[in-house]
Amino acid sequence: MTKLAAQGLTLGYDDRVVVDRLDVEILEGKVTTVVGANACGKSTLLRGLARLLRPRSGVVLLDDRPLDDLSTLEVARVLGVLPQTPVAPDGITVGDLVGRGRHPHQGWFRRWTEEDEAAVADALDATGSQDLVGRPLRELSGGQRQRVWVAMALAQQTEVLLLDEPTTYLDLNHQVELLRLLRDLNARSGKTIVVVLHELNLAARFSDHMIAMSDGRIVAQGAPGDVVTAELVEEVFGLRSMVVPDPVAGTPLVVPL
Amino acid sequence: MTTLDQLRDVRRSRRVRATAVTLSLTGLALGLFVVTLLVGSFRLSLGEVFGSVTHLVDDPAVDFIVRDLRLPVAVSALCVGAALGASGTIFQQLLRNPLASPDFVGVSAGASVAAVAGIVLWGTTSLVTCFLALGGAIVGSLLMYVLAWRDGISGYRFILIGIGVAATFEGITGYLLTRATVFDAREAIHWLTGTVGRADDAQQYALAASLVVLLPLAVLLQRQLRLLELGDDTARGLGGRTELAKVGLISLAVLLIALATAVAGPIAFVALVAGPLAQRLLGPAAGGILPAALVGAALLLGADLVATQLLPVALPTGVVTGALGAPYLVWLLATANREGQGG
Ligand SMILES: Nc1ncnc2c1ncn2[C@@H]1O[C@H](COP(=O)(O)OP(=O)(O)OP(=O)(O)O)[C@@H](O)[C@H]1O
Ligand SMILES: [Mg+2]
Repeated sequence: MTKLAAQGLTLGYDDRVVVDRLDVEILEGKVTTVVGANACGKSTLLRGLARLLRPRSGVVLLDDRPLDDLSTLEVARVLGVLPQTPVAPDGITVGDLVGRGRHPHQGWFRRWTEEDEAAVADALDATGSQDLVGRPLRELSGGQRQRVWVAMALAQQTEVLLLDEPTTYLDLNHQVELLRLLRDLNARSGKTIVVVLHELNLAARFSDHMIAMSDGRIVAQGAPGDVVTAELVEEVFGLRSMVVPDPVAGTPLVVPL
Repeated sequence: MTTLDQLRDVRRSRRVRATAVTLSLTGLALGLFVVTLLVGSFRLSLGEVFGSVTHLVDDPAVDFIVRDLRLPVAVSALCVGAALGASGTIFQQLLRNPLASPDFVGVSAGASVAAVAGIVLWGTTSLVTCFLALGGAIVGSLLMYVLAWRDGISGYRFILIGIGVAATFEGITGYLLTRATVFDAREAIHWLTGTVGRADDAQQYALAASLVVLLPLAVLLQRQLRLLELGDDTARGLGGRTELAKVGLISLAVLLIALATAVAGPIAFVALVAGPLAQRLLGPAAGGILPAALVGAALLLGADLVATQLLPVALPTGVVTGALGAPYLVWLLATANREGQGG
């Protein structure tokens, strides 16, 4: 298992600081969701944790080693990340795209192996994208496309997976299915999973641990039952609501007033 | 059929297609290379040409035509075409835009300014002009880098700035031409049209030797290019050294176009067309720097044959590629706008 944590992490763009001296520990082998209003710095934090953005100060630790001590390939073999708005070359097919997730496992000269093929097949099956293999990405619906991107991240077969709003464009059923898939991956292989989500009720339902952010800071974290309260929803989202137990799972359910 | 079988099928058919395309293109380029050696005002047989090229038979008359007249043109067309094709496709894939060809974005224009300045102001010899062009192309690309590259690249921004830079250079070139004597101006304009038949042996060997080093490097960097196509974040997430790869690929592409332009002058449109043509043959998003180089070589050899053999008056190669490429550009702009893509 792999431990991911940040200490005193400061992240920003140009002259703007977005995340200021933030400490966070991602629980090993758990599903963590990050919630917060638009522009509060969720994606920025995720990008910082995955070293897509260089910290102004502070460190990200992977198994207690600073990320800076590791090569990009070493990081990519244990930590996978799906950005919020990924881009793909025109006309690329689903099989080709998902296959590119295998990059960190291949050397400069190593050819495509049976292991790579199996990883791609598993990822496609897991996301229900198996029938799309030969289709161009451009011709898929938004939801199908989103699942293909998740498949690419899965094909990377990393112990830690950071997903930035993987449920955008998905209908309710597919949102639930995707989150079940993540839970399942976590249960089967002990993957550590961090997901940025906007849907609070689903976040509460499917995560072990929640991090609520506001204005670049963590305002609450812990079990969903402790984090999702009427006060917090008001503080973070500026929405007055009532929080009741979900009749099915007993997790908090936010009902706007 | 299981997913695994489907994947294997898709991958196998892609591999077969890539191999078939690469082999056919190699065949086509070599075929045109041989035809270039064979045809002309003085017809030679395959045997005579083969004997002369391989130095197996020495016949002064044949050797003069083959070794001194035709071989340099053929070698130059092959190498310049390959360099243009490879350079163009690297630019296009890196910027994710079919318009991002190095001959549009100030690189060739930089070479032209320097070369014309040399010819007009200092009456430089062809070798010095060649070095000036090389330097001009590199300065032009550095200028582009400073102006457009700093905070990452976005396709259209880069292209618009490139067009601006190119226009500035062209303005200066035009001004220099008005200051030139008739003789110099004629030579400068000849240079500006671009032709493969001009380079001397030394320049050609230099270009051929560079290609032998640069093309394999480009093919090696193709893996990184395939990551960069997914955007910087995804590329880095998958273990790509994005900054290094970008600098490497761009330097390579700039060097290729600069060398080609130094040897043959600014040959229009080959760099623009070769990549997309190769992509058509290979299937979408297949990359293919080598196939693009082969398409470039075949195109330029073909264009040179048309320019020197088929037309009633022999013309510089650049005129023919320009005439063929311009309609493609119009088509590209028209369709890109309709589908709203390209940015
Ligand atoms: N590439 C960038 N350059 C400059 N500023 C940026 C960049 N990306 C994000 N920002 C700024 O950083 C702040 C935090 O953005 P971030 O993308 O982290 O928000 P977020 O919480 O993910 O929001 P959302 O829910 O809308 O995705 C915003 O104010 C945004 O304008
Ligand atoms: Mg975001």
